[in-house]
Amino acid sequence: MRFYFITFRSVTYAQQGERLLKGSGFRCALQRTPRWMEEQGCGYALKIRAAEIEPATALLAQRQIPIRRVYLQSKDGQLEEVPT
Amino acid sequence: MIYLDYGATSFHKPPAVYRAAEKAMRTCANPGRGGYGAAMEAARTVFDCRTAAAELFSCRPDQVVLTTSCTHGLNIAIRSLVRPGGRVVISGFEHNAVTRPLHALGADIRVAGRRLFDWDDTLEKFEKALKGADAAVFTHVSNVFGYILPVGEMAALCRQRGVPFILDAAQSAGTLPVDFSALGADFVAMPGHKGLLGLPGTGILLCGQKGEPLLYGGTGTQSIQQEMPEELPERLEAGTLNVPGYAALTQGLKYLKRVGTDAIFRQEQQSLQHCIRGLIQQGFRVFAGAHQAATVSFLTGQDCEEAAERLASRGIAVRAGLHCAPLAHESAGTLETGTVRVSLGFDTTSGQIDAFLRASAKLPPVR
Repeated sequence: MRFYFITFRSVTYAQQGERLLKGSGFRCALQRTPRWMEEQGCGYALKIRAAEIEPATALLAQRQIPIRRVYLQSKDGQLEEVPT
Repeated sequence: MIYLDYGATSFHKPPAVYRAAEKAMRTCANPGRGGYGAAMEAARTVFDCRTAAAELFSCRPDQVVLTTSCTHGLNIAIRSLVRPGGRVVISGFEHNAVTRPLHALGADIRVAGRRLFDWDDTLEKFEKALKGADAAVFTHVSNVFGYILPVGEMAALCRQRGVPFILDAAQSAGTLPVDFSALGADFVAMPGHKGLLGLPGTGILLCGQKGEPLLYGGTGTQSIQQEMPEELPERLEAGTLNVPGYAALTQGLKYLKRVGTDAIFRQEQQSLQHCIRGLIQQGFRVFAGAHQAATVSFLTGQDCEEAAERLASRGIAVRAGLHCAPLAHESAGTLETGTVRVSLGFDTTSGQIDAFLRASAKLPPVR
């Protein structure tokens, strides 16, 4: 299964995003951002299934919860940034 | 002890408040500082507090900055809006938590509206003083006299004139509506341990703008960057948060949501009127009027500190003196004498007021 990681500039935004998405029926998990994803050092990300990334980011945008970047984890485990 | 000093702190708390503090101490590590269970539990606990506050005060969770006290929040807010020499309008009933930071900044302070319980005077003087002002800071309720200022109208005047403003909700949060969205305030500061029924060492600053940090340090995010983050609430929250305190505060906020601040206000008003009537009958000088929250000051024929001491000897806890608000006493003409202050809370009963009045009957009336 493929996953996306949505990164945020603050833990509070990440938590707002988590509550919003879970409250809307999405399955996601809040976790620390892998170090290489966060050039400013230390952050939090939401891990979400590939099938749900588009409606999830649309909902976050609709509710004005700012996201930082989105990364796709491919089948071989590699992560790459994708445009939002 | 019959506790009638809720203006200082809500000494009694709902049982869930005590339990939450202990649970957090046993289950929470440092919020926003790790990805393991206890750190994430701490982060959830803190976020729950922001969410509960946001619901009660009509704002977003990221606008809820957690502080160590109302004074801490006021200092952040004042330092964010006021520059040295800037002209600031304040009411005649401000606490030292407002006046001392302004004084330290060298602000040009204009005091507007000094008549107790007189909304017409407050609004007329406030509106005149706003001309040319850089900012306004005003209290919702006088901590000395319980005077409820017309803050909705004062906020509207500030918005009309484009003057940024700060509301000090130290004595109102938890018993009067504080609608952040409707007020359009730049900042609203409040303590966690008074009407919100949380612990000392906690407070809330509601932010309508990003503000300037008062403290600089770790936030758990964007660690390479040497400037504080631009994002709220982290921008204004350097250092480790008081997680047990905010866990407890969440329970206080939930209690208020469940019981309703309107219901608490109505109950307190009944006890207040009973108290005021009794004190007047006993021949004291009582500061009472329209627009009064559950706080009343009075003068006896005895020094206020001695009167409070005599009440304490009969098991009654009230506060005497200047209550850290010399400006309010100057406005009311009690700077020389101070007052005895009775402040009621969510669990004050009429039986307790009766007991207080039996004790106050032993004090000498004003000459």
